Amino acid sequence: MEIALIGNPNTGKTSLFNNLTGSYEYVGNWSGVTVEKKVGIFKNNIGQLIDLPGVYTLNPLSKDEGVVTSFFLNESVDRLLNILDASQLERNLHLTLQLLEFEKPALIGLNMIDVANKRGIQIDAGKLSEVLGVPVVPVVARSGKGCDKLVDAISTKSTQPVKKNLVYYGKEVEEAIVTLTGMLHGKTDLSVRFLAIQYFEGNEYVRDYLHSIDDQQKLNPVKAKLESKLQKQYEVKSLANYIYQKRKEVIEGIVAEVARKSNSVIPLSEKIDSIVTNRFLGMPIFLLLMYFMFMLTFDWLGTPLSDLLDGFLTGPITVGFEKVLTAIHASDFIHALIIEGLVAGVGGVLVFVPQIFILFFFISLLEDSGYMARVALVMDRIMESVGLNGKAFIPMMIGFGCNVPGIMAARTIETPRERLLTILLTPLMSCSARLPVYALFVGAFFAGNKALVVLSLYVLGIIVALTLAKIFSTTILKSETSLFVIELPPYRLPQFQSLWRSTWDKGKGFVRKAGTFIFAGSVFIWLLSYAGPSGLKVDMDHSYLAAIGNAIAPIFDPIGFGTWQASASLITGFLAKEAIISTMNIIYFVPNDASLQGLMADYYTPLAAYSFMVFILLYIPCLATVATIYKETNSKKWTAFSMIYAFAIAYVLSLIIYQGGKLFGLV
Amino acid sequence: MFGLLKAGGKGKIINLSQVGHLVQRRLLDLGITEGSEICVKCVMPFGGPVMIESCGQCVGIRRREAVQIEVVKL
Ligand SMILES: Nc1nc2c(ncn2[C@@H]2O[C@H](COP(=O)(O)OP(=O)(O)O)[C@@H](O)[C@H]2O)c(=O)[nH]1
Ligand SMILES: [Mg+2]
Repeated sequence: MEIALIGNPNTGKTSLFNNLTGSYEYVGNWSGVTVEKKVGIFKNNIGQLIDLPGVYTLNPLSKDEGVVTSFFLNESVDRLLNILDASQLERNLHLTLQLLEFEKPALIGLNMIDVANKRGIQIDAGKLSEVLGVPVVPVVARSGKGCDKLVDAISTKSTQPVKKNLVYYGKEVEEAIVTLTGMLHGKTDLSVRFLAIQYFEGNEYVRDYLHSIDDQQKLNPVKAKLESKLQKQYEVKSLANYIYQKRKEVIEGIVAEVARKSNSVIPLSEKIDSIVTNRFLGMPIFLLLMYFMFMLTFDWLGTPLSDLLDGFLTGPITVGFEKVLTAIHASDFIHALIIEGLVAGVGGVLVFVPQIFILFFFISLLEDSGYMARVALVMDRIMESVGLNGKAFIPMMIGFGCNVPGIMAARTIETPRERLLTILLTPLMSCSARLPVYALFVGAFFAGNKALVVLSLYVLGIIVALTLAKIFSTTILKSETSLFVIELPPYRLPQFQSLWRSTWDKGKGFVRKAGTFIFAGSVFIWLLSYAGPSGLKVDMDHSYLAAIGNAIAPIFDPIGFGTWQASASLITGFLAKEAIISTMNIIYFVPNDASLQGLMADYYTPLAAYSFMVFILLYIPCLATVATIYKETNSKKWTAFSMIYAFAIAYVLSLIIYQGGKLFGLV
Repeated sequence: MFGLLKAGGKGKIINLSQVGHLVQRRLLDLGITEGSEICVKCVMPFGGPVMIESCGQCVGIRRREAVQIEVVKL
């Protein structure tokens, strides 16, 4: 049995999905968290559950919403599980009425009962079920309350809607529906009433579907005639508006019947909002929060933890490996491979796990509290001035964790041009994989102001992105339309458990990558550094790795790091940015007493180090990001563009910083 | 809606047709249409967006669009 989860954005569909399937998908407190369809298996194996992006209606405006409509038209599903936000019943029911017109077995999960109660809203689920003709189960998806009843209802109750045609659209529309029914008879398995109404409403996906099964010349006049008739008779603005009003009348009747409202307290949300979106405090509060995040990650908490872990890895762990290797009489080759290749390469990346988890924890906190949408609001003025809209800031914030989900999040941006622009610029956001590079270099060269130097890099990424947005939007991506309407969800106090889940879910990717990709990469890099044209166990300066690095090193001479070591790590950095660090650990292998940080001073000046960090921040997105850009833009041209412009801007900026810095006597 | 543009202003929408088509659709999705009562929650500086509340739900829209909404004061 296949069950699809449908509902308005931010009503708790994914929370319920996680609860019912025992898996973990991305949950957050803003509209547009889920942007593609996700499939999971029910815990008790009664079938498959499909999580879909949130939609307000089946008539889509943005790409993530289109996912749902095409799902309806092209894929078969046994049951629809409609999730309603009990505290926003009226708005939610618009979608429900459309779903019921689809005439598939359906049932309703009435979620956020706790929120509704707090606002003084009581909903009679039994009565709602009676009125709609489908089972209604109250649940609290976040805590799992009522979920067992919901599963029972899914697997036992007959969910074929008993009443049909909840909404009477008036004589004229109903007649036109009959006309279409005659024309489409036998040509489709879907509910013709549903198709007809969606078609009248101007649903482009349904229009294309109908045109593919019937003659467009015959269909168009029906709609056009209906619209002009209604406009003359009732002075309505448009057919879509007329249909909306009809639904609204029915909904008002339903809500009056099932919901009781008592006077409630002012929600905490409003009090918080008066501060964080305050006219003048909004921006400073955001910057302060960011600063706090960086201090914790790089100074107060993250660095001491990393140092501890580093001590553990280079101390007891390495000693342990040495002992085992000696005990089993491992050959020199194996010994070097494990100690100088794997432990240095993989361990060098793992050391940064604490810092990365702290960063992810903060991002999860921002996501789950409801602050994300506020940031978009606060940022809109700036974003608008560079040809983007505030919503584009959300993908960028997510990009601080990892660019791949950031780029995916751009799907919620309605206008194609702004979406493309956001996709192209999100890679400039400094993702967590770049963080180890900064941590290493600031530790070695800027120990006094670690957090500040790193913050400067993050800010630089944002400034470059905004500047390029301005340039691109006035040259290659010109267009007038820009749309910004954002739903601001109520604040929700994040629960520790869901925060941890969400942090772990993001962080485990990093750990897993260290165990697979970086592991394999480290072996490979080490082999390249161990072997050379003259045989094995060569001096590293005569290894294959050095040869490869030397080939491109001259390019980087003007920007301060024309060594084969830097070049070689930049090449591996294209595969995954963490690989830069593991490569450096292998190349500059230091026996346990000295530290890599100390050694760096021999190879870089502070100015060159900063130039290197800027270059790492901006140059070519990693392989996974490039693949995502290609998937999301579906264009080789834009994918290539995203790589080329990034390299060019990285080079130019590093050049300015390095040469400019030298001019001013910095070293 | 110009007269309403300060935090705390309350009004009822009487005409949305001056507003851009896409914005109108989005507002409709969120249940904001002619006849809805709205309340301005805050106005961002430097011509930034405004935050309005309707039926217990907050929505951010740009000032350019906000001023095109015709409202009567309540
Ligand atoms: N108070 C409360 N919060 C909930 C409930 N269900 C979900 N949430 C929160 O609502 C937000 C949106 O949840 P999510 O599952 O991402 O919604 P989706 O967009 O419909 O998939 C998250 O912050 C959840 O923690 C609930 O029943 N009660
Ligand atoms: Mg979701």
